[in-house]
Amino acid sequence: MAEKPKAGFYNLSGCSGCLLTILNCEDNLLDIFNGANVVSFLMANSANIEKDLDVAFLDGSVTTDEQEEFVTELRTRTKKIVCLGVCSCYGGVQAMEYEKNTWPTRFKKVYGAKPPTITKPFESRPVDAFIPVDYYLPGCPIDANQFLYNFARILRGLPVDIPRTPVCLECKWRENECLLLKNIMCLGPVTATGCNARCPSVNLPCVGCFGPADEGNLTSEFNLLKEKGFSFPEIERKLRMFGGVKFVNKFKTIWKKVKK
Amino acid sequence: MKEIRIPALARVEGHGNITVQIAKNKVQNVLLNIPEGPRLFETLVIGKTPSEVVNIVPRICAICSVSHRYAAIRALERALDIKETKATNALRTLMHFGEMIESNSLHAYLLALPDFLGYPNAVAMVDKYAPAVLRALRLKKFGNHIMEVITARWTHGENAAVGGFGAVPSKQNLLDIKNQALTLLPDAEETVELFRNLHYPTSMEEGMTFMCLKPPTEKYGFVGNSVLISSGQEVPIEDYLKLTNERVVDHSNAKRCSYNDKPFVVGALARMNLLGERLHGKAAEAFKRCYSLSWIRNPLYTNLAQVIEILFCVEQIPILVDQIVKGYDKVVTDSKIQKPGGGTGKNVGAVEAPRGTLYHYYEVNRGLITGANMIIPTTQNLDAMETHIRVAAENLLHAALSSAQGTKDMNLILEMVVRSYDPCISCSVHVVNLD
Repeated sequence: MAEKPKAGFYNLSGCSGCLLTILNCEDNLLDIFNGANVVSFLMANSANIEKDLDVAFLDGSVTTDEQEEFVTELRTRTKKIVCLGVCSCYGGVQAMEYEKNTWPTRFKKVYGAKPPTITKPFESRPVDAFIPVDYYLPGCPIDANQFLYNFARILRGLPVDIPRTPVCLECKWRENECLLLKNIMCLGPVTATGCNARCPSVNLPCVGCFGPADEGNLTSEFNLLKEKGFSFPEIERKLRMFGGVKFVNKFKTIWKKVKK
Repeated sequence: MKEIRIPALARVEGHGNITVQIAKNKVQNVLLNIPEGPRLFETLVIGKTPSEVVNIVPRICAICSVSHRYAAIRALERALDIKETKATNALRTLMHFGEMIESNSLHAYLLALPDFLGYPNAVAMVDKYAPAVLRALRLKKFGNHIMEVITARWTHGENAAVGGFGAVPSKQNLLDIKNQALTLLPDAEETVELFRNLHYPTSMEEGMTFMCLKPPTEKYGFVGNSVLISSGQEVPIEDYLKLTNERVVDHSNAKRCSYNDKPFVVGALARMNLLGERLHGKAAEAFKRCYSLSWIRNPLYTNLAQVIEILFCVEQIPILVDQIVKGYDKVVTDSKIQKPGGGTGKNVGAVEAPRGTLYHYYEVNRGLITGANMIIPTTQNLDAMETHIRVAAENLLHAALSSAQGTKDMNLILEMVVRSYDPCISCSVHVVNLD
């Protein structure tokens, strides 16, 4: 039998919810650890070895010099890097003020005049701001089924397969009444699907926790929400919450169109 | 100068390391370093609406995400004068029990137990301890299932909102939770027996002050508006700053807390020490069988306290579900989301997270947040952790000097001490007061 792929699971700055989602796959946990040779998983294991890897899974964004050094070193010894969750994919909620230049003031506000010197911190950025990334599994946290399906694919050398469509698709499948029709600000039309439209299914609007959908029509969502009486800053604030760096970059391209 | 360094603490959430400096055969200094990156949550909630706060703050930490959501909801409802209905309280209690079962079984079985049995992780224990590992997974799955049903996801489910719930689970789904609880009761009892019969090392023992929330009724519970202290006082949560006294230290991105300039302990061990006499039924019997005076000195008994809490929750769930299902139609009406009136106010709210008392504080002005503070259990426990590490290191060093064994077991014991507090390091970093 061929050697099992060597896998590592790492956590940067985040809530560890994506790694927790893996540990929450109680019915599949033994298979996950059997399917790969898990050589490093600090959150669950104390005998970890740092060596060449076939695949590394990263939870969390990069917010310190130590983490930047770590991902740079990890890239040199890893065949496939997989970002888990909107923190590692897009910077996460901690990147919602990205490019607004508020970070130095906010840092000072929290830590005062004499901050700790243990690391050099900076504003949250996604992993691909520092190293090339092979695959992205978004979500806050990731969806367990999407992970299990893609974990099996990656172990077999297949690329990640995730939908490019927005939440609305799954929401329609669940036959929910559209919240936008009730004038509730729902981010379903522009948010990546994969969550099974959880929030609209309990009558609550999508908050965008899977980040921007590739096929979402951001310009149209902006115009629709403006027609419904929501203000421009209100809409931007909502989209920034989980969309992070990917939203800000998308936003730049549509900014002029929307302003018209 | 000799240094014992544990560079990357394993089987805890987040990043921490321990340095013990030894000179002239004496422990000179103990540092619990937290290099976890800051995320500045308390600045991220400024300018947001209360409902957006409840979307954001659970992301401070996944394993206590329900507690963060619940603490924020309690603070915001107190600030905005929204009264929690009985129906909403019952559903929130059920979701909170779900988190307690999940988090306590994750910690006790998957993170702590491997040390006691001599394994690097829980999966490796399967060959010899399959029934225990499978039992752990059944209990953990049950806790997650409850959160999925009530909040709409295992982690960061959005259904619990300020003012109520977006939707109530079906009667059938609730009764299914009840039936699962009845089926899992033997698992919870066997778990207590397993942890009762473990060998608990004693080298770190040192008496501590304990704090936890005082439940509103005579029963055991996980919320309240005042804090009980083991020295006998009761302090309203409005005085949370006087209870915690946060300060910045150089060797850690997490702040530190103390009370009367001394370390104190929050979490399952504190709750059992202060509220154990309030337990009923099988949980009360288990408490009587397990409790000893070592519980005020030895943090490793947190593991045993946590599994008694699992039994408590599993035993209470059928009663709680019956109560919800009996008045189901009224629960559906009464748990609908209430809108705040004026949208201006400030207040603190607190819940017991699995790992201890969690305070959230918000100032709201015309519907937007203008000030925030969150004080996290792990931040409160860090001084006590450092004290217990120091005591263990001194005692083990002393023992090593009088035997040929050396200090080889020291690392494991020091790690077990930190792990016993069930630290949540993501939580502990960066959470602070804004003026």
